[in-house]
Amino acid sequence: MDDDWERVLWKKKVYPDNYVPSSFLSSLTRNPNFRPYTYMSLVFSSCAINQHLSTIFTFLAVFVRLNEQLLDPRVLVWLSICGFIAVYAMWELLDYCSDNKTSTSTQRMEAALFPFGPRVHTMHPGAKTIKSSILVFLALMSLSPVLKTLTAATSSDSIWALSASLFILNALLADYTALRPETYHRERRVVAPCPTQLGLISNVWFDVARLTSVLSMNAAISAAVVLASRLPDDISVFALMLLSIQLFALFPILRRRLQGDSRAGQVLLTSVLSASSILSAASLSFTATCLIAVTLAFVTFVAPGVLVWAQKYKNEIRGTWDPAVPKVHNTERPAEFRGQSR
Amino acid sequence: MDPLAIAMVCDFFHPNVGGVESHIYMLSTNLIRRGHKVVVITHSHSPDRVGIRWILPALKVYYLPFSTIASSATLPNFFTFLPYLRTIVIREGIGLIHAHASLSSLAHEGILHAHLMGVRTVFTDHSLFGFDDAASILTNKLLEAALRNVDAVICVSHTGRENTVLRAKLAPHTAYVIPNALVADQFRPAASMQPSDTVNVVVVSRLAYRKGIDLLVATAPRICTLFPNVRFIIGGDGPKLVDLLQMREKHTLQDRIEMLGPVRHNDVRDILVRGSIFMNTSLTESFGIAILEAACAGLYVVSTRVGGVPEILPEDMISFAHPDEDDVVRAMSEAIQLVMSGKHDPHRAHERIRGFYGWEEVAERTEKVYESVLEVKPYDFWTRIERTLELGRFVGLIFATIMIVDCLFYLFLERWIPRQDIDKVQMGWDQDRFTKLASKKPRRNSTSSNATPGVTNNALDST
Repeated sequence: MDDDWERVLWKKKVYPDNYVPSSFLSSLTRNPNFRPYTYMSLVFSSCAINQHLSTIFTFLAVFVRLNEQLLDPRVLVWLSICGFIAVYAMWELLDYCSDNKTSTSTQRMEAALFPFGPRVHTMHPGAKTIKSSILVFLALMSLSPVLKTLTAATSSDSIWALSASLFILNALLADYTALRPETYHRERRVVAPCPTQLGLISNVWFDVARLTSVLSMNAAISAAVVLASRLPDDISVFALMLLSIQLFALFPILRRRLQGDSRAGQVLLTSVLSASSILSAASLSFTATCLIAVTLAFVTFVAPGVLVWAQKYKNEIRGTWDPAVPKVHNTERPAEFRGQSR
Repeated sequence: MDPLAIAMVCDFFHPNVGGVESHIYMLSTNLIRRGHKVVVITHSHSPDRVGIRWILPALKVYYLPFSTIASSATLPNFFTFLPYLRTIVIREGIGLIHAHASLSSLAHEGILHAHLMGVRTVFTDHSLFGFDDAASILTNKLLEAALRNVDAVICVSHTGRENTVLRAKLAPHTAYVIPNALVADQFRPAASMQPSDTVNVVVVSRLAYRKGIDLLVATAPRICTLFPNVRFIIGGDGPKLVDLLQMREKHTLQDRIEMLGPVRHNDVRDILVRGSIFMNTSLTESFGIAILEAACAGLYVVSTRVGGVPEILPEDMISFAHPDEDDVVRAMSEAIQLVMSGKHDPHRAHERIRGFYGWEEVAERTEKVYESVLEVKPYDFWTRIERTLELGRFVGLIFATIMIVDCLFYLFLERWIPRQDIDKVQMGWDQDRFTKLASKKPRRNSTSSNATPGVTNNALDST
């Protein structure tokens, strides 16, 4: 009926200004990029959160044991060292495997990208790592009396509240995305000249991750420092700080790297970590154990279900009024191509 | 139509410059010319733009003492405007409130209070908004609540209308499309174009991401390489200025790309007539008054096909490109060849635009909206509450509470400042008297009324 109606403003029209044409809102599209989630893929994605929460719970359980002198701090130190060596060996093994898999072309590309490459390899990366870990070890050891008395004057109530909020902050801001393979390959070579292991960490964090994950790590380490002031002796403080650095600074890198790999590995790692957190709490408090179990189950099994259910309320509206996204070739093309593009 | 007293309510008005500001001014003056009485209600500008001012011709402006929070918008607080509004409505005998701009909280509040005094409401939306970010969700909800009981909504393009109807969940037939207009006399093409081989491409825009300056940065060097006789003249200021300067330096195009920096609106025409092609790379545009001004000044227009731009000009006066680097280069190349072959006549283009758009016509069409609003019976209070409650489970309750508190506040004001104690305005603007006075004492009067010439369309800030 409105054949002669046109979507133009410059033409004089017989129709009134509030005439609703049949083509009204014809350009409207709803949920154009809709991609329904599947429950299982969400469960796998939530494994990272589960692993992170498990490490926090395990850490807390260890702290309680140290605090009540149920655990000898020396044992913990030795466990941490053994764990570190084992995990480092695993990391090197993974690197070795993936280096064999990816062809030498990446190395050639790296050489082009980083012309100072040769200097990087003057010292074996493994030796560097050992040197820097010993440095961190000694620094922590000498700092532990200071850390012990740092917040000693604060009352315990404040400490519990503060550490709880810091751990919540840590869990909220943590980076749960997988590490892209090309990033850590590059990191390994570029970062090698950094004198300390922490240098590697900060480089990985700063280069790859956003500011939030740096904040997340800092929150966790601060929480550990705050908790350490409640411990009875220096060696316990040292043991706890060593553990906290491994769990909150080093482990997330490993976790993000493993995330991209096999699903079976994910399931295995998640169940090992969940089991360890539940078991370590089991002998301490029944309520805490229940809470941990329920939290982990909720994160892994219920929350994905809620997200799948909530997706039916998704209502994304797109139309001609949306700001366009400009398509610009970012790569700088040689001048001779520029003229021929037509 | 019977003469009507209209109050234009908006946060954005002279001395600020921009698309909304000039729209309100031009619409008001043309309504005054049609015999209506118009007052503008806006917030004050420190230090001295306060109180009640007159702007030629016979436009009274109330500058209310509200402080602004950001980009000249006042803080939404739903109640503090009522005492002022009530006094103004009673003093001036206002019959209709015409609110402007969806980010103006004064406009929202005006619509909220109007029904208490039996005043009808019309709202004009000037911009396009998205739906998917937190700021849009919040402002859209506020807009929906404000427009729940409005009598009519005017949008400046068909795209804008679709957008507003969706954002505020309006019934489509309450939304009218009345385009912007321009004063064609201010954008005359150059009297005679001296024939030359150079083709000047003009860009006058705020240099911001939303204006698609990234596309300009990417395409300008390519166009310069393709056509050795093309020069660019770029006017405007903004965050992307640095990108443009870097591009110019990198490709050593200093002699081909002229950067003018910030441009006053009065100078825009003089810049436009130096060129023969106007390039617009906006990513979103509700109406695109800058394009219209350029076309009116006799330039051939190349624009991205976004928002309401495809509606404003016939296909033979404008070339469209997708917001894609290659396609913009393609469209620009075609336009340059068309202009070089002399197929575009600036004077004919100017005459055509003059026939398309005029403020007289806009005022006439707006008047028709007023007329249709006054014909319909207003919602009673209970219907308003019911409609407000339909907003949503929580929002509905909040806004219904606001409405009821507003009502009680109004009753309190009726008692505190009784209606009969408020002096009515007896006399309006007397043009003859003003002319007589002006001729007697030209110096003093000309300084007090020189506010007017500054208020004209501004292409740079139109959204």
